[in-house]
Amino acid sequence: MRDFSEQVIEHRDLRLVRRLLKYLRPYAGKFILAFGLMIITTFTNMVLPMASGLSIDIMIDPLIPFDRKVLIVAVGTGVLILITAISILIGYFQNIMLQNIGQEITHKIRLEVFTHIEKLSVGQTNQLPVGKLVTRATNDPANISEMFTNTIVNLIRNFLMMIIIATILFFIHPLMALVTMTTVPLIFIASALFRKYSRTAYRYVRNSVSEINGFLSENLSGMKITQVFNQENKKISEFEVINKKLKKSYIREINVFGVYRPTIFLLAMASTMLAIYFGVDSIFKGTLTIGLFVSFYVYIGQFFEPIQQIAEQFNSLQSGFASAEKIFDVLDTKPDIVDEPEAIELPELKGSIEFKDVWFQYIPDEWVLKGVSFKVEPDETIALVGATGSGKTTILSLLVRNYDIQKGQILIDGIDIRKIKRSSLRSFIGQMLQDTFLFSGTIRENITLHDESITDEDIKKASEYVGLDYVLNKLPDGLDHQVRERGNNFSSGEKQLISFARAVVYQPSLMILDEATANIDSETEAIIQHSLEKMMSISTMIIVAHRLSTIQHSDRIYVMNKGEIKEFGNHQELLKKKGLYYALYQLQFDAKETVLSE
Amino acid sequence: MILLKHFRQYYIKYGLSFLLGIIVLIAIDWYQLEIPRTIKSVIDGVQTGTIIDITQIFSSLLYILVIVVGMTIGRFWWRFLLFGNGRRIETDIRSEMFKHATTLDQNFYSHQKVGGLMSHFINDLNSVRELFGFGLLMLVDGLVLGGFVLSRMFVLDWKMTLYAFIPIALMGVLVFFIEVKMEKKFRERQDAFEFMSDFAQESFTGLAVIKAYVREAAEALGFKGKSKVVYDKSMSHLRYSVIVNIIIDAMISMVILAILAYGSILIAQSSLSSGELTEYISYFFTLLWPVFAISWFLNINGQAQASAKRIYAFLEAKPIVYDHDDTIKDVTLDGSIIASDLTFNYPDGETPILKNISFEIKAGELVGILGRTGSGKSTLVELLLRVYNPKENMIHFGAYDAAKLSTKTIREHIGYVPQDNFLYSDTIRNNIGFAFAHIDDATLYKAANLSDIHENVTQFKDQYETVLGERGVTISGGQKQRVSIARALAKDPTILILDDSVSAVDTKTEEAILANLRKARKGKTTLLIAHRISTVKKLDKILLLDHGILVGVGTHKELMKTNALYQEMVKLQELETMVAEAEAHA
Repeated sequence: MRDFSEQVIEHRDLRLVRRLLKYLRPYAGKFILAFGLMIITTFTNMVLPMASGLSIDIMIDPLIPFDRKVLIVAVGTGVLILITAISILIGYFQNIMLQNIGQEITHKIRLEVFTHIEKLSVGQTNQLPVGKLVTRATNDPANISEMFTNTIVNLIRNFLMMIIIATILFFIHPLMALVTMTTVPLIFIASALFRKYSRTAYRYVRNSVSEINGFLSENLSGMKITQVFNQENKKISEFEVINKKLKKSYIREINVFGVYRPTIFLLAMASTMLAIYFGVDSIFKGTLTIGLFVSFYVYIGQFFEPIQQIAEQFNSLQSGFASAEKIFDVLDTKPDIVDEPEAIELPELKGSIEFKDVWFQYIPDEWVLKGVSFKVEPDETIALVGATGSGKTTILSLLVRNYDIQKGQILIDGIDIRKIKRSSLRSFIGQMLQDTFLFSGTIRENITLHDESITDEDIKKASEYVGLDYVLNKLPDGLDHQVRERGNNFSSGEKQLISFARAVVYQPSLMILDEATANIDSETEAIIQHSLEKMMSISTMIIVAHRLSTIQHSDRIYVMNKGEIKEFGNHQELLKKKGLYYALYQLQFDAKETVLSE
Repeated sequence: MILLKHFRQYYIKYGLSFLLGIIVLIAIDWYQLEIPRTIKSVIDGVQTGTIIDITQIFSSLLYILVIVVGMTIGRFWWRFLLFGNGRRIETDIRSEMFKHATTLDQNFYSHQKVGGLMSHFINDLNSVRELFGFGLLMLVDGLVLGGFVLSRMFVLDWKMTLYAFIPIALMGVLVFFIEVKMEKKFRERQDAFEFMSDFAQESFTGLAVIKAYVREAAEALGFKGKSKVVYDKSMSHLRYSVIVNIIIDAMISMVILAILAYGSILIAQSSLSSGELTEYISYFFTLLWPVFAISWFLNINGQAQASAKRIYAFLEAKPIVYDHDDTIKDVTLDGSIIASDLTFNYPDGETPILKNISFEIKAGELVGILGRTGSGKSTLVELLLRVYNPKENMIHFGAYDAAKLSTKTIREHIGYVPQDNFLYSDTIRNNIGFAFAHIDDATLYKAANLSDIHENVTQFKDQYETVLGERGVTISGGQKQRVSIARALAKDPTILILDDSVSAVDTKTEEAILANLRKARKGKTTLLIAHRISTVKKLDKILLLDHGILVGVGTHKELMKTNALYQEMVKLQELETMVAEAEAHA
């Protein structure tokens, strides 16, 4: 928590409010109408005490005959019923209207945040835990609209009520009103103090709660270590300490409320007693009737309710602001890869790729690629091999422009990759990534990714190409089979096949495979490779694989080491060199033998 | 109220403050009704002319003043006593829950998600606390204040009260049922919200795929659909709650209007005084709270009972690893381990993980346990640590049967370096000194030096006081491993077990650590689980596991001669080294 002066925060709040009001603007008309209606209902709610006072005055007036009194009661009750009915009806519309505006604003902000997050690069979103991103898109917008439709509206209603009641009190008896309201400054002071203390108390509570939750989640998952080290008692006493701290912070909060609420009650009752004293005095002086005295007494009771609420509402306003700030943080984050203004749409992709002295780093001064150059002609298949961290996957990421390079140039069909719209570029590239990601939904949805133009016929064809049809045939509901979260009801190999079908159904011109067949048995792999070669749409293929059997038929193999290309050539040429590739080959060959001999 | 075991003792433990709180509440409930009555007497006195001088009301004002001051103090106290009790009980239960959590074994934790356990600690505890605090207040106020007010209203005008009370009581019943229905609407709204959250969660997790296929727009459309459902469900819930509020409002207003009209006529007939009408209306407003309080109480009581049952179930969960009555305690183990025909399968597993394993480790030996992933190495260690129960006579520590030793005794003698290197978000000093109440510098530095982490630590700004992030994420995997090794070494245990603990460090560091171990562990038993030959090559003895079977025991030399599997592993790994070296030189 910041310890800056209050002013800084107030200033921040003002800035936030201005920005938030923009969301309200489209509903300005409705919002103002709702406010207007709210003012009316606030007024009509104030009628009853006045009516009771007037009624008493009339009823005890000996000059009015009984029949007249009955008539007055009948007419008066009729009017009051009418007013109440209207007020209730208005209240209904006003409430519904406000809630509607609130929900619409929430819906709108949610979409805005969601689309914005999708625009951010993978590098950017990876910096934040997914849970936080989800909160930005779901909970925080709800907090903001809650602030508009409940907190702010009630705040204004309460202010309004105070003013109306004060006016009525002055209207009934100005002097008495003045005297009874002498406690108001005291109430404001008490409320200001309450705001200050309750905020601190709340902060302690919040900190202790998150401390205890952190402790629990860590220790429940790490219980084995505690037990193996015989340290249960130590952990229990650590827990006691923070548990007690939490209790203390709660008791402190209870005490703050416990002092504030009764204090307000005390001050309100002080006013009531003043009202009784001066009321009775005024009756004796003839400046007040008994009925109006009753009205006055009831109004005074109602006067303090809104003041007390205002102080508490200011606190919930803060949490709305906090959400707004977090959301604006996300919205203000510029996507670090954007299309250049003159970027073009590719009409087609022939499939030539050229890396010209490409240098790239994720973090400053840690070069992942150090001057990589190679060229792939259309219809060629090339492979990248090398140890983990040698930069193979990075090359593929750069090709689909998940990141921008620092030095050098990447050309696709002779055009600088930065001059091509990313969406256009990616629509021609089929990517089969290292970790296959499946969404929950049906297999069909996972293959089409909700693209309605893809027919079941297309899916079937793609499935046959990659050998997924064997899997589908085993399932009673075929394509409609449900995929559970992250596809955990499928084996790794099946998952790869599904995501393979996904890549194929989009008919890419350039296909990149990053360890795409690692979990598939060699037989299926052979089927896939054969199919890929047959596929007319694919011209160029880039394969990253550990298994050398996967790549040995490639036109060219590039052996990578620590961000540089060390050797290249076809399988035979590289074997003859007896270099790195040769060693790798020998290793795998022997491993295979071992597996077979088991 | 909750009468389950684990909960009922608090009525006695905090009995005094419960009693005091309730007495204060009842007193307030009684005396607050004196105020309208006093005001009535003032009004009537003025109207009928029995009060003709302002000084005559001083005694009334004084009476009110005393009540108000008393109520102000009383209101603070019941908050402190009753709400405070809620918090105190919550704290006690939380503490009991955590204590219980430390007794539960891995068998329990492997079947429970941490998130689910956390929700007992957070959500369930919260609704129990609410019942003990706010719930009790509502129950007492509802019954006592409700009773007081009603009786006073009856005395004032029983007919009017009957007419006024019936619709209000009906409203109370209505509110109860409506809350149930509203809960359903609310749940639908929550479900829709969760559905949307899940969608966003998946979408953000799979962002790379979405971008790869240029499906951003389609995803946004999908999210829009989910968000629209939330919108609809929210509106349906809100509309319902607005209508409910309006109905309640309308009913109350109508009853008040009826009282006002009827009362006015009574005044005109002189059968009711204006003071009495004022008093009556005050009572009526006071009556509303008890009516709502009762129906709300019933509501949170239902939720709290369900939560209490879940907490009860957690507190009653029994571990399967625990000490029997006849356990052997407080003995010193010599460091030798004998396994005889050891067979084991997990409580819910069908196929045995370890099959008929027999071996003998002498005190002071440095033993390597080698095997591929899934060969049963870690399970063997978990049995030694009594994380799971071995059967009788399967494992012996010296002369003692492991199944009969207390877990505490066994674990006191063993230092353990786990595979996942779980560290606490605490200082490095406290992590290494985890086995101690307070670790002295000499022990700390010695352990850190032996595990080759001392130099790294001295480079941190706060040195040994550096606080590791949750699960120690702020340091590298290799550093984590070494801190974890230091933690076990600091204990200087009779038996040290390292479960694949040098995999994340480079070969040079590995060699340094191994050399240090050899020196420091002289005369003490050390078990080293590994899958690299280089790690176990120079050890006194190697146990080779494969698919849960012990396929070879011996030194490197012996196994090279006799064991085919071992020979193959050696050959393979030599090739790997060759490639690595070729790459390094390339």
